[in-house]
Amino acid sequence: MSATFVLRSSRLSAEAFTSTSRSLPSVSRLGQTRGYAQKKKVAVKQHSSGFKGNKGKDPKEKGFKKEKKHGTFLTLPANQVTNTLFKPDNRVVLDLPTYSTEALTSAAVGKAMAFPMSENEAIRAYGVPKNLVVEFRVLSKPCSVVRDVTVTAIDTLDEASSKSSRDTRLVMTGPSGCGKSFLLLQAVEYAAHNKWIVMYIPRAIKMVDSSTAYTYDSRTRTYLQPNFSYEILRRFFSVNQSALQHMKSRGELVTELQSLPEGTPLSNFVQAGLSYKEDAPAVLSALMDELSRQTTHPVLLAVDDIQALYNYTAYRDPHYRALMPQHLSIPRIVLEYASGKRAFARGAVFGAESTSNTAFQMPLELSEALGIPPLRPAGPYVARSKELAEYAQGLRNFPVPAQLSVDEAASLFELWMKDNALHSGEVRGTDGELQSRPNDELFMTKYCEASGNPRAFVWKGLLSTMSSY
Amino acid sequence: MNVARSVARTALRTRTYSTATTYVPPASLENVLPRRRVQLKPIPESPNFYTGRAAYYDQINGLETAIQHTRSALQKLQLLPLPSFARHSIPPGHHVWITKDGLTEMLNAPLTTSRYRRLLGLLNQLDSYRRIADVAGVGMLADRVAGVLEVFERENKEAVLARGKRKPVEFDEHGRSYTVGRRKESAARVWVIPVQKPETSTDVSTSSTTSQKAAAEDVLPQLTPTITSAMSDSPLKPITVTTTNILINNTPLSQYFPIPADRERVVRPFKIAGLVGAYNVFALVRGGGTSGQSGAVSLGIAKALSAHAPEVEPLLRRAKLMRRDPRMVERKKTGRPKARKAYTWVKR
Repeated sequence: MSATFVLRSSRLSAEAFTSTSRSLPSVSRLGQTRGYAQKKKVAVKQHSSGFKGNKGKDPKEKGFKKEKKHGTFLTLPANQVTNTLFKPDNRVVLDLPTYSTEALTSAAVGKAMAFPMSENEAIRAYGVPKNLVVEFRVLSKPCSVVRDVTVTAIDTLDEASSKSSRDTRLVMTGPSGCGKSFLLLQAVEYAAHNKWIVMYIPRAIKMVDSSTAYTYDSRTRTYLQPNFSYEILRRFFSVNQSALQHMKSRGELVTELQSLPEGTPLSNFVQAGLSYKEDAPAVLSALMDELSRQTTHPVLLAVDDIQALYNYTAYRDPHYRALMPQHLSIPRIVLEYASGKRAFARGAVFGAESTSNTAFQMPLELSEALGIPPLRPAGPYVARSKELAEYAQGLRNFPVPAQLSVDEAASLFELWMKDNALHSGEVRGTDGELQSRPNDELFMTKYCEASGNPRAFVWKGLLSTMSSY
Repeated sequence: MNVARSVARTALRTRTYSTATTYVPPASLENVLPRRRVQLKPIPESPNFYTGRAAYYDQINGLETAIQHTRSALQKLQLLPLPSFARHSIPPGHHVWITKDGLTEMLNAPLTTSRYRRLLGLLNQLDSYRRIADVAGVGMLADRVAGVLEVFERENKEAVLARGKRKPVEFDEHGRSYTVGRRKESAARVWVIPVQKPETSTDVSTSSTTSQKAAAEDVLPQLTPTITSAMSDSPLKPITVTTTNILINNTPLSQYFPIPADRERVVRPFKIAGLVGAYNVFALVRGGGTSGQSGAVSLGIAKALSAHAPEVEPLLRRAKLMRRDPRMVERKKTGRPKARKAYTWVKR
């Protein structure tokens, strides 16, 4: 599953997201398909006279077969779902207030708001973390509930817009399922609509789990990731196009294939990286330099799964040693901005911890820098990487509360209820049909069972419950 | 001869026996001292002396007399004979009579089983009359019969009757209940405390504003509203919703039990009772696996809820939440690999 989504803007339009019918059969609502990793054709082997193995047997007799990977859950388009069981007449599109800068006040705490899905929307272009993908696919609209921490994060962003990013480097932490990725997404959306330049990396783990190509560059003495750089540039361009047009580069960039003089509009700068994939890492690095110097727009670098960038990567060097994240070009950029070694003149660096992948857990250096208790008890005799500790220096912890407040949970409950997603609280109507009438007892019991945890409340509580009352 | 004997008897005031003795003229008996009769045997204390088991038969007689009197009294009150429907309404007897050894000690005489049984039969009969009198409301008669029967009851009657019944759950100074629940090999100790309702800030604010308004109104003349509406114009006060927090081994419920079924099992007593949000729970559970531990906590919570809110106990009982599930792992038997599984049957 690739980290970044290929958005073929020619195929998709904004209507696809606002209409009720999902009429695009093969492309999902958010436009996610496998990108450059296309399906490979397996060559048919020649028959040998030796050991035959499973060849002559019926497929069913072959024994254990590895399960096919289905990828992330994909909804069926509405025109294919016609059986009365699925209640095609009962389809609902949520009618929610739009998540906009004017609406986000302290009075909006506890309200559900839909993200505006325009053409250049950050959610569309950059994509979202995996669990949010499923959530947005199941809901009729991408939306979220505004919490008190949302207002706090947004206030922090407002304060940071005038200061250097060195002063505002946050990492959102909290227990699993408490809403860190959602909070980061809300901050990204706010910044994008508030004339910030936003660079959002929703799945930083894909930079370090050796799923993308890497090549050694002797000039910078780091490993470049051309495909990933290309994708970042492409998405960055689609989101921040209008802001880039008015800015000019202050330094020049010379590569083997092209040279960009001083004073090039930044949009051309980025286009140059898009036209030659080999130049993408260099262009990305130069772009970050340009963004750090300019003061027209504040810049937000938002990275989800940031703890993956403080662990040893899954890449190997020619001597089969594991590469450290600072040896790869893009993680190095993120680490430098996160540590304050490089900074935007105006802006902030936001990160969010993720607990999904246990191969890349919160490392000791980062947990010590943030001041949170480490996963394993670690005394002075446990080895700590000095470099990673240096890259983690100065990061501030932004704790996300483990429990939703009752009002926030009630909004979340109402959101799923209005979307006709709940199957509990069934009563027999006048026509004899069972109708789902969720009630406050369902809400209270599920909130109690989840101990206020948002993911447990929605996914393990409301949607996974086997009880119908 | 008869006359002489009778004269002699009256003169000497002695008993004469009709034994064959020679005649002795009275004159020769003048110097003879009247022989004292044989020491009279002492009159036995009990009329049942000559049964040989006086103490026992005294008790029997006493009880039979009491039965007689009570029966006649009840007959006079037309409480006997009772029709069948009335007899069914009388509660069954809960009696704990003295044991055979105890009765032996009390009577200070050996006692056989059949005699003990006979006495018990009389006690049961008298107790049934007492119950009739009790139900009928004849307090005095019932009390007197109870007084008679009390002699034959064991001292630890209350303790014996309370055997098998649950001890009442006690609350400590903070209002916490402590109950224990068990399921399979798990045991849970559960403390349940009512949630303290926070003082609604709206009440405080409205009281302050009303006082301010009153002060202002003293200055300004009060305007009588001309428009009347069916509903009051003031917005509804927001309801403060309290939530139930459950900590198991000092971890939140969602963290300790990741499986939704276990979580639902723990919360089910609150759901059935309709008390979600009213109490907080702290439980320490040990032993067994996840479903056993969740069942144990559930039972502990159900017991605690029936102590905090007794009106809820019938609901929990009907929902089978008050029952300690007796199912345990069945033992392995010899000649079988497991409790029920058998080795493959071989014909020869």
